[in-house]
Amino acid sequence: METVDLARLQFALTAGAHFLFVALTLGLATLVAVVQTWATLTRNPVHLRMTRFWGQLYIINYAMGIATGLVMEFQLGLTWSGLTEFAGNTFGASLAIETLVAFFLESTFLGLWIFGWNKLNRWAHLAAIWVVTLTAYASAFWILVSNGFLQHPVGYELADGVLRLTDFGAMVANPTAQVAFFHVLGGAMVTGGFFMAGVSAYHLRRRTAEQDLFRKSLRIGVGVALPATLFTATLGGLGFETLQPTKAAVWSGDAARIAAAQAEMVAAHGPGDYLPPSGWVHAGGLTMMIAFAVMFFFSGLSAVLMLFRPAVRGLRVWHWLLTLMIPVPFLAMLGGWVFREMGRQPWAVYGLLTTAEAMSPLTETQMRVSLTAFVTVFAVLIVTNYLLLARAARRGPGAVTLGDRPIDAPSTEPALSL
Amino acid sequence: MEIFVLAFFALGYLVLGGADIGVGMTLPYLGRDGGERREVIAAIAPFFLGNEVWLVSTAGVLAGLFPELEGELLSGNVAVVVPLLLSWVARDMGLWLRGRLPGVRWQGFWDGAIVAGSWGLALSWGVLLSDVLLGLHGPVALVPALLVAVVFGTHGLAFAALRLRGELRQRAAVLSGGSGEARTYALTAAALVGIGVLAGLRLPLTAGPTAALLTPVILAVTPLLVASQAWVWWTFRHRVTGPSYL
Repeated sequence: METVDLARLQFALTAGAHFLFVALTLGLATLVAVVQTWATLTRNPVHLRMTRFWGQLYIINYAMGIATGLVMEFQLGLTWSGLTEFAGNTFGASLAIETLVAFFLESTFLGLWIFGWNKLNRWAHLAAIWVVTLTAYASAFWILVSNGFLQHPVGYELADGVLRLTDFGAMVANPTAQVAFFHVLGGAMVTGGFFMAGVSAYHLRRRTAEQDLFRKSLRIGVGVALPATLFTATLGGLGFETLQPTKAAVWSGDAARIAAAQAEMVAAHGPGDYLPPSGWVHAGGLTMMIAFAVMFFFSGLSAVLMLFRPAVRGLRVWHWLLTLMIPVPFLAMLGGWVFREMGRQPWAVYGLLTTAEAMSPLTETQMRVSLTAFVTVFAVLIVTNYLLLARAARRGPGAVTLGDRPIDAPSTEPALSL
Repeated sequence: MEIFVLAFFALGYLVLGGADIGVGMTLPYLGRDGGERREVIAAIAPFFLGNEVWLVSTAGVLAGLFPELEGELLSGNVAVVVPLLLSWVARDMGLWLRGRLPGVRWQGFWDGAIVAGSWGLALSWGVLLSDVLLGLHGPVALVPALLVAVVFGTHGLAFAALRLRGELRQRAAVLSGGSGEARTYALTAAALVGIGVLAGLRLPLTAGPTAALLTPVILAVTPLLVASQAWVWWTFRHRVTGPSYL
């Protein structure tokens, strides 16, 4: 592998891992915020326990999202300094706004929500989770504005070999960014919905304690998953309208169209191979579409079944399948992401800067050491976190430590088990 | 003006995030068993998310206002930035994971990750700052780096002395003697600010053309950011009386 391929692999693994955690975070945050709103309004103890249980799973997932996310942010300058030097004056603006206007508040209020449980006024505590949720959306929005610029640059001028932003409004209104934002948001709700339904189905099948809590959660999960699947697919369809010509040609598989797109790029940029890797584009696109078909069929069926109380209580085959469905939205998210990002190749900024030009002047040894270190650490941490997430999901609301007592109250546990 | 924006977030990180690093470094000294360590961690627990985000914002400010410097600074110091990031991940994961399972060995392992990660962070910052400040590379840079790490550690002790009670508080106050906990904290914070300012003066800080758009946005939103942090500080202004969620 060449140095640039190592750098690409490192960024792809970091971003891909980050995307998996973000998808569930965005979806679950919304569901937790809605459940907590209901709990705060009604003071219903079931909804309070629901908030704590799903909130606990949300936080386990969130922690890994932060770790991958901050490494990703620093990798831009670390391994892609060619990109930040060439295009930093444009998409760097939306990255800066993301950190300051969105993530700063998200992080601050998440700390307030986690550690302020039973300490803050309950309305203030509810406000905290809503700020976390809405700033998470804002964060996704500004990241996709940055990504949209790389996919389809607008509102810039090229002067002295670097890009300058000339129209901030155009960059924000970029259809490639707008459509992707709503598509990803929908996908996150699908992921959160199937997760909630699948975990609830596990507890209903095993007839654990808290059957009422999990019947309610299952209905919320399925109730969100079906419309979210349709919404996401619709936006995904709109997204096909914003594909770059080369990606659209490769996806169509039409040899004449591919040749025409390639010829057009050669005419504009000189000799070279301007086509994205066909295998990856097709694999990503097909994964996404097959997963959509499965999710659409299954969430439709589930939406009917959940109307029948005996099915919710005891249709174990359905419970099994719901639990098995948990990974499918993640697969669809990854497929869609591969389709979008591989389809941009060989460009880092479409039509303006190639991925090879975007790379920092790093040696192969530096890249190998860095890649090995990050992959090893993240592989161990991701496996650990998913095992812990599964464990916390299995153990149910009885074992949740989040918000179980005022933060400063003396512990009742013996010191050794702390 | 752009320089002040960068300085605000970078120095904010050094002072606020620096205290978390210092507490992590001195964790084995402050907490002698699992229970004590959990209480020491409660001193920083409600703050660490809101503190590390100052560094994320510093990177954001660099990306938006000083994109050329961002690339040079990070890719030019890859041998320091990679350990810095790995240490950061190890420290955070230690904080999150230590309480997820019962068992002395599990918690001991992640407490170790917190300590190693915090030392890694302090030393990486030390190497990076001594490179920028003194132009030192290689093993010789470890001498000033150790000094910087000591400042972080002292700052952490000063913060812990302000947050903890009883014996833990006395251990944390070992260096301040009778001079007052708040004064010690002010002193260590000033030392970190001083190092940060001196390093900043050595950087080629020429803002990019996007500054005209971005700086007013940042200036407008900054009071809101500070207010949100102030709410956290106010909520957790009392001394720690027991373990937290972590």
